[in-house]
Amino acid sequence: MGKVNARRRVRSPGRTTAVLGATVVGAGLLTACGSEGGMKVNVYYAPEDNFQSVVDNCNEQANGRYQIVYNKLPRDADGQREQMVRRLAAGDESLDVLGLDVTWVPEFAEAGWIEEWTGANKAEATEDVLPGPLETATWDGKLYAATKNTNVRLLWYDDRITPEPPRTWDEMISMSRELRERGEPHEILFTGAQYEGLVVTFNSIVESAGGRILSEDGQRVVMDDGAIRALEILKEVSSSGLTDPSLTNMQEDDVRLAFQGGSGAFQLNWPYVYASYAEEKPDELEHFKWAPYPGVGTPGSGRTTIGGYNLAVSASSQHKPEAFEAALCLRSAENQKFSALNDGVPPTIESVYTDPEPLDPSQPPDPEDNPSMATEYPMKDTIRESLKNAAVRPLTPAYQNLSTVMSKVLSPPSDIDPQGTAEELREQLADALDSKGVIP
Amino acid sequence: MVMGTVTTARKTRWALLDIVIVVYALIPVLWIASLSFKTKDTLADGNFIPREWTLQNYADIFATNEFIRPLINSIGIATIATVIAVGLGMMAAYAIARLDFPGKRALVGVSLLIAMFPQISLVTPLFNIERELGLFDTWPGLILPYITFALPLGIYVLSAFFREIPWELEKAAKMDGATPAQAFRRVIAPLAAPGVFTTAILVFIFCWNDFLFAISLTSTEAARTVPAALSFFTGTSQFEDPTGTIAAAAVVITIPIVLFVLFFQRRIVAGLTSGAVKG
Amino acid sequence: MSETAERQATSERPGGPAHAKPGKAALSEGKKAERRLALMLCAPAAIVMLAVTGYPIAYSIWLSLQRYDLRFPDERQFVGLDNYVAVLSNSYWWTAFGTTMFLTVVSVAIELVLGMALALAMHRTLVGRGLVRTVTLVPYGIVTVVAAFSWYYAWTPDVGYLANIFAGEGAPLTDRWPSLMIIVLAEVWKTTPFMALLLLAGLALVPDDLLKAAAMDGANAWQRFTKVMIPVMKPAILVALLFRTLDAFRIFDNIFVLTGGSNDTSSVSMQTYNNLIKGLNLGIGSTMAVLIFITVAIIAVIFVKLFGAAAPGSDQGGKR
Repeated sequence: MGKVNARRRVRSPGRTTAVLGATVVGAGLLTACGSEGGMKVNVYYAPEDNFQSVVDNCNEQANGRYQIVYNKLPRDADGQREQMVRRLAAGDESLDVLGLDVTWVPEFAEAGWIEEWTGANKAEATEDVLPGPLETATWDGKLYAATKNTNVRLLWYDDRITPEPPRTWDEMISMSRELRERGEPHEILFTGAQYEGLVVTFNSIVESAGGRILSEDGQRVVMDDGAIRALEILKEVSSSGLTDPSLTNMQEDDVRLAFQGGSGAFQLNWPYVYASYAEEKPDELEHFKWAPYPGVGTPGSGRTTIGGYNLAVSASSQHKPEAFEAALCLRSAENQKFSALNDGVPPTIESVYTDPEPLDPSQPPDPEDNPSMATEYPMKDTIRESLKNAAVRPLTPAYQNLSTVMSKVLSPPSDIDPQGTAEELREQLADALDSKGVIP
Repeated sequence: MVMGTVTTARKTRWALLDIVIVVYALIPVLWIASLSFKTKDTLADGNFIPREWTLQNYADIFATNEFIRPLINSIGIATIATVIAVGLGMMAAYAIARLDFPGKRALVGVSLLIAMFPQISLVTPLFNIERELGLFDTWPGLILPYITFALPLGIYVLSAFFREIPWELEKAAKMDGATPAQAFRRVIAPLAAPGVFTTAILVFIFCWNDFLFAISLTSTEAARTVPAALSFFTGTSQFEDPTGTIAAAAVVITIPIVLFVLFFQRRIVAGLTSGAVKG
Repeated sequence: MSETAERQATSERPGGPAHAKPGKAALSEGKKAERRLALMLCAPAAIVMLAVTGYPIAYSIWLSLQRYDLRFPDERQFVGLDNYVAVLSNSYWWTAFGTTMFLTVVSVAIELVLGMALALAMHRTLVGRGLVRTVTLVPYGIVTVVAAFSWYYAWTPDVGYLANIFAGEGAPLTDRWPSLMIIVLAEVWKTTPFMALLLLAGLALVPDDLLKAAAMDGANAWQRFTKVMIPVMKPAILVALLFRTLDAFRIFDNIFVLTGGSNDTSSVSMQTYNNLIKGLNLGIGSTMAVLIFITVAIIAVIFVKLFGAAAPGSDQGGKR
């Protein structure tokens, strides 16, 4: 039990935060008492362990002009979207800042639920932001959100099994075959359940193959040769016994657990798996390695799909100027670093990656109590490089329909018939884009 | 069927059967309990009995208000809703079972219709109404829909039982010299008890377990109940499932149900043994 | 309980509906008073139910007649029954419908048999009655999502004890039929106590003297069960079956957690959720809700017709 306690501290805010938090709370209380009218800026955002500290921080900066209130949304993305949409559709004026998954921006913008970012706010929200994440905050050439954090899937492997990581899907498949023949752990693990995660996997392969699912403007279904090549790969990897038998029921955490359980040689997953591995298998951490997402055909062509969150301002907010200001503070470079170190969410601002300072700059860096980007994100350069050439999921207001249909048609991946499935996708995605007909 | 002659052999047979039932009911529960005691790195090892035990998950859920406050809400909301729903249900069921009045079939029919409508499609309109009325995110805001969706079951179950009660006994008891109050308490109440307490248990469990309304009609800890609160638990990161703490919370919130049932099952037994059945 | 009462009970009970209405000779004054009392007793329940659900249900029906997608509010228009045509001509809907029907019939049938056995055991056991009754209800008390999650874990290869024992190399939750079986298992385990409890309360109404009399007349245990117990328990059985069927047809949580609807295990409620809540297509989603409602109503009517007299409020039942 003691061991668990000690390890838990790696992820908890630790001493510095506690001190920071205490002063901030004190300051917040004082200013709240002295503020005129007590304007509230309501932030609706996913549960994030230490986000309240960030909010406290920004309240201190607001210096009593307004009070940011963190309204926690449920853990699952569908639940988050559902709660916000219900309120927005009812014209709820109490929402100010919204935490949007990267795929929701076009939908919320098109429905007129969120405000465009312009002028100085826009300049500040885009400054030094990596291009991939920035694209997810943009719709129709306009900026509708400020990037809060990003995420990319990387290839994770064990250097005792494969000293050199594969660079392409073909290499990965043939390495996996060889490992299987030698009776070693050989499985290629990725999210294959019928849900958004399967779409992310598919989208990454399509983009790596230089293909497209939708046209540039999101109006038409393309499903070109690259997309068909991706279908072939998805089929091959899932029907040749190279992946986990539970593939069609695997989500992120199942993939992580299967790999940690020792059955996998390769894992395609978000960087959170590193922190979990560090916590749960610290003795073997030195062998847990990462590489860029595998390419298709030529090495280096791999394009990983971007995840993460953006902050938008509700169109029915009664305090828009303050909401913009609060949103900018919540995703400032300083706070992105704080969240990255405490909650494991990769920053969208490039300079944060190279920031050498630990959480508490007055103390020496220490992985346990005073982490820095270098101690918590040894893979930070890979993340940053991947982000520069990352794939964005199709941008369209009907994304949710698209995703539901795609995950249904692609599941189970072993039943894919490349040409036939492509045709099926073309038809059904076209309907889904118009929001006509029934989604499965 | 002479109940008096209880042999050891029969007792043993029943004991064996009891064990089968207990195993059937409890194995999956014990599995949840086992998950709640496992450490993070042994969570997925497939062992039914934890290899490394920890109380960390329990310490975690009781460390913050995010579990304790919802627990209080759950207990309060479920209890109040149960009392009201059973009370209203008894009144209506008595009328349906005993009295002759127009619109009886309509009432039964309407209550059934309500029980049948997919709740998921009612959530959005209810949300809008409750916000207009200021009921959103309050105890009454959850109690009202719970009563509504518990009532059809309550009315149906209770009226089915009330119809089977030999009400003539009341008259007979009065002829034996009992006052109306005594007649009701000694004769009718014990006969009605099994139905009433059965209904109470079912309604309580319905309110206790509801997730859909709880997540849709609350937004803060003012009224959020435990099943909804579970979906706000966090793993150490966005994608990690907080399996351990959820399992611990599930174990904790099962305890009130067990207590509730323990308390009420005695009443059911009491209803039987003092009624027409002589054990 | 007095001797008289007990004698009364045994002499009155077997007759069931056959005996005369006590209020038959009442004057119209009495009738009026009875009606007033009845309305007063029913009013609170009726008002609460209608107040909470009246508008939402009507609103859903109204929405089902429109093209209305929250993301394209400008395209909102009245389309009559177009949504119904769209849903009813869609193969996804019918696959989900078949799956839901299958799950409903199989799980409710198993639950009835198991529930009856459980109720008899709870009623008749000679040892540890309190323990059995309490323990039996624990599955019903567990939050469905959590229970489903534990089944999911139990059946995941390497992670779960059941998968390690029964599934060998395969992954049962990735094929249609094994998945459906596990969904049935989870559903049956969870809700058999509901059946058992309702049936137990029905069993409590079976007079022991009647069973004794039947035994003396030479009826064996099976005959006593089918000829004496079942008829008396009929209302309880109907209530249990009806409510479980209504509930089972709307199955959502278990499937959502166990398979997420993959391999054609999606239910009609999951489709409604996907269209209404996720897809924000209020028109199509509400249409599905209304269709589920109609289907369930048909099932209910069939049940009540089948059991006829047993339905409360029906005239054949003989109001007292």
